[in-house]
Amino acid sequence: MQTALQLLFTALQIGSIYILFSLGLTLIFGVMKIVNFAHGQFFTLSALLVSVLVPWFAHHDVPLLPAYLLAAVIAVAVSVALGMLTYQFGFRFFQRDLSGSFILSIGLVLLLEGAYLHYFGGAVRTVPPIIAGDVSILGVTLTSQRLLLGLAAIVATGALYWILMVTQFGKAMRAVAIDHEAAMLQGIPFKRIAFQGFAVATLLGAVAGALLAPISVISPTLGADYLIKGFIAVIIGGLGSVPGAIIGSLFIALVESIGGFYFDPSIANLTIFILVMLVLMVRPHGLLGNR
Amino acid sequence: MHKIFHNQQVFLTLTLALLSLGSLFLRDAYSINLAIWMALAALCAASLRFVTLIGELNFAIAAFYGIGAYGAGAALTVYNIPFLPALLLGGVIAALVSLVFGYVTLKTKGPYFLLIGFAFTEVMRILYARSDWLGGNSGMVGIFPPSAFGSYFPFFAIGLCSVMILALYLIERSSFGKVLTAIRDNDNVVLSVGINVHMAKVVCFGIGSFVAGIGGSLHGFTNNVISPGDFGFLLSTFALAYLKVGGENSPFGPMLGAIVLLALGSVAMGMGAGEHIFYGAAIVIAVLLFPNGLVGIFSWGYKKLVLDVRSKGEALHESRPAAKPLHKKEQVNG
Amino acid sequence: MDKRNIETSPIAASAAGHEVLARVTNLTRRFGGLVAVSDLSMEIRRHEILGLIGPNGAGKSTTFNLISGFFKPSSGRLYFDGKEVTGKSALEISRAGLVRTFQHGSLMRSMSVYENILIGAIGGLPHATKKERAIRVEETAEMLGLGPYLNEVAGTLPHGIQRLISIAIASAPRPKLLCLDEPLTGLNQTEVMTTLGVFEKIRQVFGCTILLVEHNMKAVMQICDRIVVLHHGQLLATGTPDDIRHNDTVVSAYLGKRHGD
Repeated sequence: MQTALQLLFTALQIGSIYILFSLGLTLIFGVMKIVNFAHGQFFTLSALLVSVLVPWFAHHDVPLLPAYLLAAVIAVAVSVALGMLTYQFGFRFFQRDLSGSFILSIGLVLLLEGAYLHYFGGAVRTVPPIIAGDVSILGVTLTSQRLLLGLAAIVATGALYWILMVTQFGKAMRAVAIDHEAAMLQGIPFKRIAFQGFAVATLLGAVAGALLAPISVISPTLGADYLIKGFIAVIIGGLGSVPGAIIGSLFIALVESIGGFYFDPSIANLTIFILVMLVLMVRPHGLLGNR
Repeated sequence: MHKIFHNQQVFLTLTLALLSLGSLFLRDAYSINLAIWMALAALCAASLRFVTLIGELNFAIAAFYGIGAYGAGAALTVYNIPFLPALLLGGVIAALVSLVFGYVTLKTKGPYFLLIGFAFTEVMRILYARSDWLGGNSGMVGIFPPSAFGSYFPFFAIGLCSVMILALYLIERSSFGKVLTAIRDNDNVVLSVGINVHMAKVVCFGIGSFVAGIGGSLHGFTNNVISPGDFGFLLSTFALAYLKVGGENSPFGPMLGAIVLLALGSVAMGMGAGEHIFYGAAIVIAVLLFPNGLVGIFSWGYKKLVLDVRSKGEALHESRPAAKPLHKKEQVNG
Repeated sequence: MDKRNIETSPIAASAAGHEVLARVTNLTRRFGGLVAVSDLSMEIRRHEILGLIGPNGAGKSTTFNLISGFFKPSSGRLYFDGKEVTGKSALEISRAGLVRTFQHGSLMRSMSVYENILIGAIGGLPHATKKERAIRVEETAEMLGLGPYLNEVAGTLPHGIQRLISIAIASAPRPKLLCLDEPLTGLNQTEVMTTLGVFEKIRQVFGCTILLVEHNMKAVMQICDRIVVLHHGQLLATGTPDDIRHNDTVVSAYLGKRHGD
């Protein structure tokens, strides 16, 4: 029972990063019908910047928490800016072109990953936890940092839901996702919505990266692993579905957690890949996907 | 129109023959090796291009290349099967696996097919790493061509690649190739006249994978060492780069892209990360600015210089709707 | 005479001088809660040109897709050329000799006219030589007046010619039953006349039977031997153009639809 709870909590904390990650992916796909494999690169950049800036600030005698917050804000801003650049000069022309956007994003992955390796070096970095100490819930020990991460994921998901369901902007996005031509006929400023949608998605990814920095070892190739899992989560849950992204992420995290504990990580990965192949063959639109 | 047909075929054959023979004149090990890698890269790109005839992007090409490599390697080092049968076995195993894989997965299209291919490549990679009899994570060693080949192995390898590229071209030009192109354009119409579209796709995929498998076998014999990491999705991405940069609409595209990128890449090879940046930038630039690749640029320039001298038939051949997409633009509403 | 009660025996039908090529009995197709086609029974006789008409939403497309195997029926049976084909796939039915066109773009735009028709020839002559297929392509192209366009890229040609190309592709395999899905849409008067002439030629020279779904009422009245009228997924009337013209229920169905809109 103890083990089960531990595994569950591990799954939840892995899952919360995947959730933040895949929410962005599914949003981009849902609204703009773009397959963006480069999503991970904005995530990575944010994490990298935080892992570089926090020690720098600390070196200049800034206390840890403000240093982290400042670094996070800068990192997220830069990452989002980069994301919007790729949108403005790239993805914007590949809306509703699923394979074309994929090819472009693959090229970007190589390009950006190489650039990160070049500028940040291959060495891994760590950032000291912002909130030290452990917390005990139901007899399971968690670091407070990870708990914070989980809460952040919940908050972000809630915020996204609120945006999508309540705000004008969100409703417009949903309209575009369902039928972009009809939305255009209704006078919805489609281009602006797409731009802002991409921005929100990238923001989610960048925030995830900033939140991850204190917990995990950061390397320039960080994005790749999360990307693959995030995509698989989105595919299983259904490309374009927000609840699907959440369910898919938690499911993947669970498989990883259990598989990693009873077997080993590569078996867990193998299972996940085979699962996604099956899903793509039997039900390509995923569990909750539209169309 | 027949004139053009013969011209292109003749031109391609000549080019391939010249390139293959030319390799005999290379003297230093570095150039020879580079030439073989160029040939293998061109072969992968040509295989990828062949599958685009049905409108699909075969991201599993790395998996079948790897199956070929491991198939031939295991045949040689584990089962002591002689060189030539081992080489062929790599291709045959890849083809058989691909027929099963294709039969099941080609019911899906576009990004879904692509992602399945991606996942499959990773599955194979993990399987190699976990298989100790294949050398596990450290890989397999000792894959050597017979010493009887002497210094003629590079010529053999490059020649074999050329022959297969030519074969793919001839198939593309045949009735079967026309059926494939029609499937990409409008598969419902092809089905409506009684052609088994699904099987045609599977066979196309099988042919492309056989070629990739042979390429993988050659890779093993060239490198003498193979490891799981060689056959991940990165390889598929590079093949895509060669194809996109060279020009996906022309049978010369794969060769041109492979030669140019590998030549330039060998210059940039000094910086470890530089290779990725280089290939990544190549794909991005090709996709955004030159959808027809280098071949597109050349033919555009050629047309500009040689104005209206051409006859109607030839001009028509050049003016095929440009940039027929690699992939089927999935009719996505919303 | 044609009555709404269809004889259930194919033998009785051919005994009356009308050999039946295809028939459906009690054909029904549901999509969730919607019944698109309900208890439809009709026959298609050899060498006739049969028109399938009805107001929008009458179930014409669904019937078309059911007959050609692109949809499976929820219930009911299909017979083609003496054999039962209920539930058979589109591929099996097209191989049995039923070729259909599609409403929008029933051709390969990126290929030449020659290559387009060649696909039809390959479908119809799977084991023939290149020469034999070439002859088939040229004969078909001649019949449809496409000779001058053979080397052109299909997508660059005017709409009317593209329609002819799609008909050429479909008739290249010399099908027993040629099913045309709204082939006259977007054509002007002259083009319609030409195309109707082509239908007649296909029937006479290629020996095809033709099933025509169309909205162009004038053309339908002109070219069809018999007409089947659908309404709300059900059979409303069957008969010669004269019968249909004077059939009150048909007239009110169309008028009622117009008034109701």
